[in-house]
Amino acid sequence: MTTSLQIPQAILDDMVAHARALDPYECCGLLAGRQGTVTQLYRIKNIVALEGVEKLSSFDPAKAAHLERLSPAERAEIAFVMDMADFSAAKKDIRNKGLDLQVVYHSHPHDPARPSVTDIKIATDYEEIWPKINLPIPAYLLVSLMDKSKPEIRCYWIKDGTVAATPIITTG
Amino acid sequence: MIKVRIPTPLRPLTNGLGEVETDATSITAMIDTLNSAHPGIKDRLCDETGELRRFVNIYVNEEDIRFLMGKETSLKHGDEVSIVPAIAGG
Ligand SMILES: [Zn+2]
Repeated sequence: MTTSLQIPQAILDDMVAHARALDPYECCGLLAGRQGTVTQLYRIKNIVALEGVEKLSSFDPAKAAHLERLSPAERAEIAFVMDMADFSAAKKDIRNKGLDLQVVYHSHPHDPARPSVTDIKIATDYEEIWPKINLPIPAYLLVSLMDKSKPEIRCYWIKDGTVAATPIITTG
Repeated sequence: MIKVRIPTPLRPLTNGLGEVETDATSITAMIDTLNSAHPGIKDRLCDETGELRRFVNIYVNEEDIRFLMGKETSLKHGDEVSIVPAIAGG
């Protein structure tokens, strides 16, 4: 596990553009590269509005029940579910390019750039899945649009339910 | 035998089991076998038309069945199948 991440300014800008394009809904995606240096961004569709999605994805019963009471549009403001067909296409491209998955990112349109309780729980559940699908455990990056004029980007490692912030080194 | 890894969100349907075994010879047969033993599981994996839902992946030995033969992908002794729920968050 690397302790810091190097991300080119152009990729940070692309993530913010993605977050703004979907605002007030959450966006999500992947960053790939080599040994802590990001070189590639993959936008993934947020399909949280699809019917039945809350039942299969990793939401705990309380969050699932909450999502069920909301309209599809309202759901997309407080949650994301990755389109796994998109995910697999990205995974394949990452492997073909000889890169590794480095980061899973998503946006918080209304909340700070910190993992929510749901984010931490699902990341913890997923720890045992990454090695099964031959991927390293990624860092989790949050883009907050709470202050629309000043998006905030923060990155974290989530391990055994514990969250540790990790610095992002911006490169040209 | 073929090992099938069951993700946390589906374990309430498998009496908490994280892994089950099958001797099915295809993904379609595996899903039907799983559904007989653990009713309701098929509905979580496939939509009304029988297609794999977009918020689930099935991997056979680390390859997504979407890049193999889809649900017609064949299985053989020693294969490992992982049912993977969508990456999600709030
Ligand atoms: Zn979140």
